[in-house]
Amino acid sequence: MFQYRMTTTTIFIVCICVLLLAFPLQWYPRTLRLLLAEVVGATSYQPVPPSKISTSKNLKELDIEQACPDDITGARAQQEITGVVISASKTCIADNPYAVAAFVKGTNNIPHNVLMKSGLTPDAVEKGRDLDGDGDPDEIHIRLEVAELNGGSPELDEATTQHEIAPGIKPSFWVFTPKMFGMATENFESLKARPMLRLPSPAIRVEQGDTVKITLENSHYMPHTIHFHGVDHSFVDEKNEGNDGVPITSEKPVMPGMARTYDIKPRQAGTMFYHCHVQAQVHVMMGLQGLFIIEENRANNWVQTLNVGAGQVRASSVAVREEFDQEYDLHYMDIDKELNSRVKRSNDPRVITQSMHRDYDITDATSDYFTLNGRSFPYTIQESLVVVDPDEKIKLRIANGGSEGIALHTHGHKATMTHTDGVAVKPEAQITRDVFWIASAQRLDLTLETINDGLHSYGAGVWLFHDHQGRAITTDGISPGGHISAIVYNDYMNNNGWPKTQGVNWSQFFTEDYYQRKIPIWESYAPSGIFSDVHNDPVLLIRLLIIISTLGVMLGLIIRLLLRR
Amino acid sequence: MNYLKDSKAIGIFTGLSTLLLLLPILVSAQQNNSNHMQHDSTHDNHHKSHSGHNLHDKQQTHHNMVLNHNGMMMHSNANQLPKGCEKIAKDYNFTIYAGSQYATEFPNKVFGYSDYELNVEPCSRLAITFINKDKVRHQWMVHGLPRYLYGQGMFHLEATGSKEIAGVFIVPSDHKTYLIHCDMAQHMEKGMKAQLVVGKGSGNLWAIPGVSADFNRGNYLPDKIWIAGLVVFIFSGMLAYKLYK
Repeated sequence: MFQYRMTTTTIFIVCICVLLLAFPLQWYPRTLRLLLAEVVGATSYQPVPPSKISTSKNLKELDIEQACPDDITGARAQQEITGVVISASKTCIADNPYAVAAFVKGTNNIPHNVLMKSGLTPDAVEKGRDLDGDGDPDEIHIRLEVAELNGGSPELDEATTQHEIAPGIKPSFWVFTPKMFGMATENFESLKARPMLRLPSPAIRVEQGDTVKITLENSHYMPHTIHFHGVDHSFVDEKNEGNDGVPITSEKPVMPGMARTYDIKPRQAGTMFYHCHVQAQVHVMMGLQGLFIIEENRANNWVQTLNVGAGQVRASSVAVREEFDQEYDLHYMDIDKELNSRVKRSNDPRVITQSMHRDYDITDATSDYFTLNGRSFPYTIQESLVVVDPDEKIKLRIANGGSEGIALHTHGHKATMTHTDGVAVKPEAQITRDVFWIASAQRLDLTLETINDGLHSYGAGVWLFHDHQGRAITTDGISPGGHISAIVYNDYMNNNGWPKTQGVNWSQFFTEDYYQRKIPIWESYAPSGIFSDVHNDPVLLIRLLIIISTLGVMLGLIIRLLLRR
Repeated sequence: MNYLKDSKAIGIFTGLSTLLLLLPILVSAQQNNSNHMQHDSTHDNHHKSHSGHNLHDKQQTHHNMVLNHNGMMMHSNANQLPKGCEKIAKDYNFTIYAGSQYATEFPNKVFGYSDYELNVEPCSRLAITFINKDKVRHQWMVHGLPRYLYGQGMFHLEATGSKEIAGVFIVPSDHKTYLIHCDMAQHMEKGMKAQLVVGKGSGNLWAIPGVSADFNRGNYLPDKIWIAGLVVFIFSGMLAYKLYK
């Protein structure tokens, strides 16, 4: 017995000695170390771990996407299709000009080959009689479907019908889409959604006083409606059926596979909004929302009924052309990845609906992704630049479809707010400034003048515009991301639609790794490796393991002693 | 000695129960051969960049195709024989209905077809009438056909809401199972998936309602299963402790 106790005590003493020796110097109390230093001076130099050089050091080793894809089909050029003049698109990726022509003339009024190239069905946007005899059609019938992007599958691990908002970032969305024939993907070998099947839901344009029918063909597996927010419409239609799209007051939702037609005849012009009103806290945030613009009535006013993906309007209305050189639809959204990952977790609609509409609690939500016209930086630069010349007057129609307000800041420019929520601001009350607050669902019409007078513009350049609240310039916390885009002067544009920037190399932003937090942000241009990741300290690691194992031995002995007793 | 006996018993018990657990997996694997994997792997070849953006809409223009207010028909072929076929072996007429009403018998599906499996002889000619009972578009597309006869290896019928459309195609001479589906977003996933078995076929595809299992089957377990699991775990541990003490 005595023998046993002796060994235990010895082991304990040895353990404590080992602990004291192995304990890293920098972890000893400050006062003790200073006291010791007064006697022996500072401890000797211990090399710190070297920099860990990752693949981004040499950008060529990264898996980099093509920043500016080639325009194989000539979509960017100014062109005239079936009598519709389609202005040039200055950005890399342009809207399909045949679809633009089809939206202007109506899918029922264009040659078959144009219809085929548009990708639209013959009844996607039908334009009928000229009721007021002013040379443009006033009977408009729009058919919208509902599609799920980045959805789940009973057999694949990957998302189906993919729409990436940034490299590798694929939150699920539900969107209203134009009625298109054929496959949902680029081709059978691809999981990528076809170009016109995308976020955001298309911007709708009609003329003031038009007789508009909008048929919601619910091709999605959940119930939906359309609520016309700010758009003049009656609560019920002629048959006394609900016309407001609100399930709790107006009508039952449109079930999967079913359809409903809404009738509207808007008396007021302005930039409005539309969205699904079924479980709106979820369905609006999932992407079932779009701009709805009512153009002032003019003669021969053939408006571009849908602007897919929002962005530049390539065939503006007469009223806009009277006053402006260019027009852009800018649709902002914020996304909680906690919501937009749920449809992928199951393929059973019963499980999905419970997860989305009962388990998900938006009062606990935080926004992770921020999009402009359905994409985040760097993809915004491919298709949502505002490309200008000096002394131009540009109309920006801005909607905030997110759950939080945005403080939109334009670098190098002060724009003027002319309309709020589609209603004109009196000239004396119009405000010129460089930060505009836009609340949820709010719309602002801004006039951007590129007059180099130090007020409206500071001159040519590549000038960013973004929400000035820090989170919105990130993609899940990684910057640059979010909805950063830019006002770019033609002098600063390459022929292919890519801006001539002078700062850092953008290659790393076109990798999935960057947004997965794998790339040290400044590494590629810090030659010494000073901003690279750091290797571990092997000595400290060994010391730590020794300490932990010694403590383990001591604990084992204590337990054994207690049990013996 | 006693201890040894016990461990043997445990070994046999564990072996048997493992086998029992694995049995359904082995059986289902037998039924579904590698065919689906071929289909899936083609999906992996998607491009990294957006470079295809405008290409697609253009591609859809030059095929043998009808587009009208009833819908669309692509790559119909009533006469040209596939390689290896000397004559039309047999003529079939199928009427396929599509719509949400055909999914009701499958609790986790929303859209469905009236038929999920068609069995035909090699080199036969199929006349399909596709009738859409919903108010939204639906498609009936066959994939994997020879590309020298059918663009992109596809025969494609698309009927707009409440409309019908018809087309004809001839199947090749080899025994193969072809994918039939609706390629609208989520329609295949939520029920519109069927198969065309030519001759003996080449094994079932996955996730065909009433025919084959979902590869990613849901778990459908009670919410707080881990509590029950923990209780059972502790109980069985205690039981074992009691038995072998």
